[in-house]
Amino acid sequence: MPISGTSTHTSLWREDGGTSMRALGYFVGTFAVALILGIGSAWYMIERGTVLTTTRVGPWKSWVSEGNPSADPYTRAHLARSGRLPLTSTAARYFVSTTDSSGGGLSASCEYSITGGPLNARWWSMALYDTYGSLIPNPSKRYSFNSEGAIRHTDGGYRIHISRKARPGNWLPSGNDSGKNLTLLLRIYGLRDTDISGIGQVPPESLPKIERLRCE
Amino acid sequence: MRVRLPGLYIALAVVLAGLIHVVAVLTLPVLAPRDAHARLAALGPVNTIIQLPTVTPGQQVMPNMVPDVRYAVCLFDLSDGPVRLRARIPNELWLIAFYTPLGENFYTVIGADMKRADVDLIVTEKDQPVPDVGVDSTETFDNVVVVSSPVTKGVALIRAPLAGPSRSAEAERALKATYCGTRKSGPTISSP
Repeated sequence: MPISGTSTHTSLWREDGGTSMRALGYFVGTFAVALILGIGSAWYMIERGTVLTTTRVGPWKSWVSEGNPSADPYTRAHLARSGRLPLTSTAARYFVSTTDSSGGGLSASCEYSITGGPLNARWWSMALYDTYGSLIPNPSKRYSFNSEGAIRHTDGGYRIHISRKARPGNWLPSGNDSGKNLTLLLRIYGLRDTDISGIGQVPPESLPKIERLRCE
Repeated sequence: MRVRLPGLYIALAVVLAGLIHVVAVLTLPVLAPRDAHARLAALGPVNTIIQLPTVTPGQQVMPNMVPDVRYAVCLFDLSDGPVRLRARIPNELWLIAFYTPLGENFYTVIGADMKRADVDLIVTEKDQPVPDVGVDSTETFDNVVVVSSPVTKGVALIRAPLAGPSRSAEAERALKATYCGTRKSGPTISSP
């Protein structure tokens, strides 16, 4: 009995060692997976947004509760990271696009045509930025078009051309650095159509289409 | 037992991931080092109007600013009492927005909603007595808007969208004439 007892003890000891090594491996693995999943999902929901925090219309995305004191934690984190001070959606709406209407990324090496319908608002402005929200240097010093300055059709609609080379009409230069990714931002102040909580409403068909014409 | 073990670790990983997710999302607004308030606080002293330069590439205090809006900012500090903000707004497009350091837009004056061009605002912290700022009669009080701030230090950002291609000088003059400070009665603002 004592012999078998000893052997049992030894075998247990060996077993224990194997198990604890495996447990350590499992633990480290578990922690690594949790870290990647936790940070990754947080990054995605803060940076890209989900249906809970953003409205998407074609290529356009708008963070509905941005700047609102009662905003959800994801919108708050998104705002803190962005370094901006946006107005709440009762005073202004912001629509951001980094792709054209067919989903291709906006690039300075391509030419785009932006066609928008009339907007029932006091004032709007369409501006072109790089990925970091900085204006793109160009010799014409032209960075945006607004409701007062843009050439508009008789119905209030408009067409803006994004291109590196000069174009007639509303031309937004995309600069000399052809490798740059572009971001378009449409800000609309004083929307006249509001929902019951006073949030400015933009009919989906009023948001501009972004058509890629050609690439270099 | 051994068959169930990976399942246990997967469950543990999911719970841990959830915890990390929540902690990351909740702490980010507090930890973000380059938020808007930090960028603006570096521009100058509190309780005074700071006109931001016309936005050009490389001269942007915050990302996504636009050159067809002219901006001025007042970093208010209410620890010595309420702060007064007076402006004569040249058109209905003007917006005066108040923010906490975390970027919460707790109050906005919309130019188009104002009955008069003269905007007179008193920013107070909750429970701070308003008469301290020199509002002595009910008659003057009618023209004053009291902005109740949830924070002692924050930002008032004035946006002057350009009402036309050649309206920038007008907007800049009007922003320059804006007063922000602790003086009991603000100076008379001359017509821009």
